[in-house]
Amino acid sequence: MSVGSYLLRRTGGLVLVLLVTSFLVFGLLYLAPGSPLAFILGPRGGTPEQIAMVTEQYHLDDPFVVRYAAWLGDILRGDLGYSIVYRQDVSALISGRVGTTLALVSMAAIIIAVVGIGAGTFAALRGGWGDQLTSTFAAVGLSTPSFVIGVALISVFAVGLGWFPTFGSGTGGVDTLWHLTLPAIALSVASAAYLARITRAAVLEESGREHVQTATVRGLAPQRIVRHHVLRNSLIPIVTVLGLTIATLIAGAVVIENVFALDGLGSLLVRAILQRDFAVVQAVILVLVVAFVVVNAIVDFLYTFIDPRIALGSRQ
Amino acid sequence: MFPPKTMITAASIAAAALLLTACTADASETHTGLSLDLDNLATTTTAGTEPVDEVKWNLPYEPMSLDPIFGFNYAENTVTANLCESLVRMTPDLSTEPGLATAVAQPDDTTLVYTIRDGVTFWNGNPLTADDVAYSLQRQVGETATSYFASYFVNVDSVEVSGPSEVTVKLKQPDVLFAQAMGTAAGAIVEKAAAEAAGEAFGTPDGGLQCTGPFQLDAWNSGRSIELTANPGYWDPALAPKVQRLSFSFIADESTAVNALRTGEVDGQFFYLPPAGLSQLENGDDVTTTYGKSLVFWTMITTNLTGGLADERIREALSLAIDREGLAKVVFQGAAVPATTLAGPDYWGYESDAFATAYEEFSADVDLERAKQLVAEAGAPAEPIVLAVQGSSAVHEQTANLIQAAGQAIGLTIESKVIPVEQFGNLYFDESAREGLDGFFTTNYGNFADPLDVYTMFHTADSHNYSGWDGADAPLAEARATTDPAERAELVIEAQEQITKGLSWIPLAYEPVTLVQNTRISGATASFAYLYAPWAATIGGVK
Repeated sequence: MSVGSYLLRRTGGLVLVLLVTSFLVFGLLYLAPGSPLAFILGPRGGTPEQIAMVTEQYHLDDPFVVRYAAWLGDILRGDLGYSIVYRQDVSALISGRVGTTLALVSMAAIIIAVVGIGAGTFAALRGGWGDQLTSTFAAVGLSTPSFVIGVALISVFAVGLGWFPTFGSGTGGVDTLWHLTLPAIALSVASAAYLARITRAAVLEESGREHVQTATVRGLAPQRIVRHHVLRNSLIPIVTVLGLTIATLIAGAVVIENVFALDGLGSLLVRAILQRDFAVVQAVILVLVVAFVVVNAIVDFLYTFIDPRIALGSRQ
Repeated sequence: MFPPKTMITAASIAAAALLLTACTADASETHTGLSLDLDNLATTTTAGTEPVDEVKWNLPYEPMSLDPIFGFNYAENTVTANLCESLVRMTPDLSTEPGLATAVAQPDDTTLVYTIRDGVTFWNGNPLTADDVAYSLQRQVGETATSYFASYFVNVDSVEVSGPSEVTVKLKQPDVLFAQAMGTAAGAIVEKAAAEAAGEAFGTPDGGLQCTGPFQLDAWNSGRSIELTANPGYWDPALAPKVQRLSFSFIADESTAVNALRTGEVDGQFFYLPPAGLSQLENGDDVTTTYGKSLVFWTMITTNLTGGLADERIREALSLAIDREGLAKVVFQGAAVPATTLAGPDYWGYESDAFATAYEEFSADVDLERAKQLVAEAGAPAEPIVLAVQGSSAVHEQTANLIQAAGQAIGLTIESKVIPVEQFGNLYFDESAREGLDGFFTTNYGNFADPLDVYTMFHTADSHNYSGWDGADAPLAEARATTDPAERAELVIEAQEQITKGLSWIPLAYEPVTLVQNTRISGATASFAYLYAPWAATIGGVK
């Protein structure tokens, strides 16, 4: 398949996924009890006249199909909608926060890749106590919720030792990296543990392969064997898991952003859901879905580089 | 008033619960000692004397708007109180003094004439005019006005400029709540030109703001922070800020907020519910905790008078069986006072002796014998009494447990029904959301020191009177139209007696303001006035 038709197919798929997701999100939010009225009218609830006026102004009583169609039309024109709770354009709300989430997820992804692949390879090649130790850590890491790790990290490294800030995303550059270190670690622990397990299994499997044994018998340097024969061939499962993990990080960020009071998409989403701020919820979820699909597409793309025998777009 | 607290408690519970388990031993030791004395709640903190470059303050959540007419909630008002000034200024002891109006004349019961202060400028240098004042009030008048304070404007007939620095408000009928509301954000003045130019965006991160307060809005970085700087042209030397920059963060997670205070990354915060980490803060060397006079109370609202709580005797029995001392000590970690009426002593802004005498009649003592007798007389309801509890709120759940136990002790079956935090807010204005419920819990507050402000919610015409309880309509209506303080107090006391005995809302606890400040600064207003008057203007460094 040529790159052109691959991209075309991917884009088609993306549009379809977005359409289905948007329908589901819109539909579910529509069915769920509650309305943004409580937040628009404010704490004193409002008089019947006010309720009627606000309902009319924001088309809260329009039938589902009408609202959905209007919203889709706006999206197609590049208009993500208007947050009736914040009295602001949704695109402004999102653009101010997307950077933090992107930085957080990127840092976590790097940690996951380095620690996960490193620990898994170490466990497989070292064996014995190294394997035991890594597996134990992996089991603990996998079974501890990220917010627990977050709270623990804050109390030890931020409050106890004072090495890191307790909250916020800093003022940019190095300061942001410093602020995002603990959240990124908290976010990456479970995924790194999972990746370590996958890597360990993949490396063990490859190590037992015939061509590796042949290479060993031929007396090639062990490091060369590990790099060229074992790791290279283990990459397919590792990259697959890494890709999926990064995609799920976006969802995990929702929790971590709250614990560390970060101004990302996750904390925006949580508040928007609580306030029934339809336009914001839909737009943020759309952004997350696009990110998910794009990451998966990149993983697919990487396959052909890792193993040229895999054709572009095939699902081997 | 509704769920200022809902979203916040939600966000913080998981981590807070952890923290609580982590320091239970610690908490139980220190907290037996903390008991609040109603007569000894603070109004101010020692004034800071040194200039300070920057003070970092935390809000429990990000404000939705800084436009004063949309500020009827903790985070919003905490910020706008320093930015936008009202016609009347609330003082730390909850009385009032002249604000942007130097004088208020009342030629008759339905006319109020405000003399606008000379020499006041907005942050942009434009002078404050009577036009700006009239505009700020006018935009809250009318049936479809979306101001959160619209209920104070229902009796306003017209607002007009009646002289170069004079604004006259005509009322359709006498209304003592209107005049007092001018000391809250309802009376806050914004620049007409700026508000009209920004339209709906006024007060949002994009739309900016234009007021006269001691601090000016520098930037609102959506999602991240709100930055204020001292207003160099501020008219009142007594409240000229010693703090150059005042920046607000929005840490919703309670334990994260407590940690940020402990490490000094944040210099202060007002808590409206005692945080789970209160003991850690009180034991810390680097922060001071002050409990201030407050108009906030914790109550159980009866949603209908047809179910299990229909019989007044059953409500009285339940009220008599509730251990309010225990509630204040356990649920509020000692940072609350048992409530016998809804509007407690801090509300007595006038005729306080009369209110005090009337208050003496009510008691928070448990009387199980009398309660059992009442249940026997009325007959226990066949169906269980269902109370709504806000999901993942420790204060809600613990209160419900306590009331369930109280009910059990006197032969009442009480069930709690958990309502997810995202739906809890609907209980306040959506009748269908209250179906199948007999009651729910809420924190609530009146806006100024007049018990009538709270009790007005019990008039049958008020949207907060969910059960349609109608035992005090006459004195309430009359009190609202009575300008003479002594006469009004009499009527309010009459209404209070009916309301307190009728128990369509059961009073549970008075919640003081919990102010936490880093020891490097001092001077923040400690009382409820922090929501409506410049509480940060008195902050300074401590040598």
